Amino acid sequence: MSIHIEGVNKRFGDFVAVDNVNLDIKTGELTALLGPSGSGKTTLLRIIAGLEHPDSGVIRFNSEDITGQHVSERGVGFVFQHYALFKHMTVFENVAYGLTVKPKKLRPSKAEIAKKVNKLLELVQLDWTADRYPSQLSGGQRQRIALARALAVEPKVLLLDEPFGALDAKVRAELRRWLRRLHDEIHVTSVFVTHDQEEALEVADRIVVMNKGRIEQDGTPEQVYDNPANPFVYEFLGNVNLFHARVKASGETKFTSASDDTAQQADEQDGLAYVRAHEIEVLTSAEPDALPVTLDLITMVGPTARLEVLNQQDGKLVHIELPKEQFKALNLKSGDAAWIKPKYSQVFLGEGI
Amino acid sequence: MRTAALKPVIPGFGLTMGFSVLYLSLLLIIPVAGLILFTLQMSWEDFWRAVSHPQVVASYKLSFLASFIGASINAVFGTLVAWVLVRYRFPGKRIIDGLVDLPFALPTAVAGIALVTLYAGTGWVGQYFEPFGIRIAYSQIGVVIALTYIGLPFVVRTVQPVLADFEKELEEASAALGANRLTTIRRVIFPAILPALLTGYALAFARAVGEYGSVIFISGNLPYRTEITPLLIVAKAEQYDYHGAAAIGVVMLGAAFILLLLINGLQWWASRRG
Repeated sequence: MSIHIEGVNKRFGDFVAVDNVNLDIKTGELTALLGPSGSGKTTLLRIIAGLEHPDSGVIRFNSEDITGQHVSERGVGFVFQHYALFKHMTVFENVAYGLTVKPKKLRPSKAEIAKKVNKLLELVQLDWTADRYPSQLSGGQRQRIALARALAVEPKVLLLDEPFGALDAKVRAELRRWLRRLHDEIHVTSVFVTHDQEEALEVADRIVVMNKGRIEQDGTPEQVYDNPANPFVYEFLGNVNLFHARVKASGETKFTSASDDTAQQADEQDGLAYVRAHEIEVLTSAEPDALPVTLDLITMVGPTARLEVLNQQDGKLVHIELPKEQFKALNLKSGDAAWIKPKYSQVFLGEGI
Repeated sequence: MRTAALKPVIPGFGLTMGFSVLYLSLLLIIPVAGLILFTLQMSWEDFWRAVSHPQVVASYKLSFLASFIGASINAVFGTLVAWVLVRYRFPGKRIIDGLVDLPFALPTAVAGIALVTLYAGTGWVGQYFEPFGIRIAYSQIGVVIALTYIGLPFVVRTVQPVLADFEKELEEASAALGANRLTTIRRVIFPAILPALLTGYALAFARAVGEYGSVIFISGNLPYRTEITPLLIVAKAEQYDYHGAAAIGVVMLGAAFILLLLINGLQWWASRRG
């Protein structure tokens, strides 16, 4: 089932949550809606589900216009950040809920329901919890039950709202790999909302980056990471440093500082260069085009050395990440002078972008 | 082994516990024990005669039945009021929210007089029922109305916070799974508020059984028909029949105790599943 979002708008009072969004989601794809809080990603997901109604615009499943359909008729599976399991029901009853509330004519027999629920519990590897209550399960287990419950009604579309947001880091990492594998098995068209770029990059087939109710970029994880469409996407996808730059017509880029007042050449244009923290080379001696810096703070995080250095020209802070071994070899300590050189950067032209 | 970690954060367990026991004893245990001891001075025959007099039995029936009906009405409409107060925003919401506590605050005698003025055959409300031969004041209906009035805040105030804490996501989850609104209410919302509702019900019922002030005006106190048990206790005491009064009191106490136990059992059963 493909999803088509056409010119959707949604306001809450004066706040524009979703601003004229157009998006097509292909059948069987696992798509991430990625953005900071308030970017409209959850609202867009809820509009797809039918939990919110757009002020204008159309939602289609395949070619069918379902904008006016109630959530209970859309056949979507929805997974909430805080699980939303029914506390007074056992795990079995929770998963069976969607089947037991069907109208009598369509409702499977008790034996069929039991068979299906047990199969789903096996799929989420929690068949041994059938008779427990949600309060007796851990967060990760609850979210898997919530997923099994959503899958029980054989949804045409699976929608997940920050599904791992309430879990701790280790469980979150495990669950997202598990979700990826599960999706490879069942291939239901899925959309999940996240503010965690790593999660989106790891799990999704496709990433839709949102900001202020609009779509900033839409592409595969690789496209979005390697070729960010604009400074917002660049900054959102990872730790990034900003440098002033002058770009020649030939494409040659020279890094400068904000206080650089040497005359601008005729064929040069001012711009901002975005350099990721791990795409900076640290040198112990001056080289052409290298910027002089002073080492300020050194933190070892597992195998990585994280450096905070001060640009000697304008005193701006630059974040650098490099492998611990490589840093050790440089034999630098806090307070030392060094030179840095961006290995790879993306320059957006125009001052003050 | 003594360790610092075993010491409670707030000191003075001995003092506070001692005070609590004393306080509860003075307020609750000693009066109840006194009542029972006082009754024990009676012979079994005297006791039985006092508590099984047909007039007294009629009053038990009225008191418990009317309290039961009143608490049941409150269970339904009190929940509705709590729902409206939690779920909707409307002008004057705070005023209505405050009004719910009126039965707590208003002296019961004042409430009784107000009710009788309203529901008497010539009153604002009563006059519309009189032509159909329905008498509200000075009848058992009047007793039910007074007991409903007095019990309302208990149900509203116990259900309201539970409804306020109820995650909207649960309703949305139910709807997304294909349930219609009625099914969602029946299978998701109602079970969640049931323990609180039973608590409110028990409190409203217990309060109604013991209510005196607001009932005696509207009931008219016709022997065998609209006399409530607390009234008989007062009547006996006024005739210096303290033993008779205490005997009926003990029966009320026993009945209230059994009912509370029952409802607590129900509550335990309902919340155990959460």
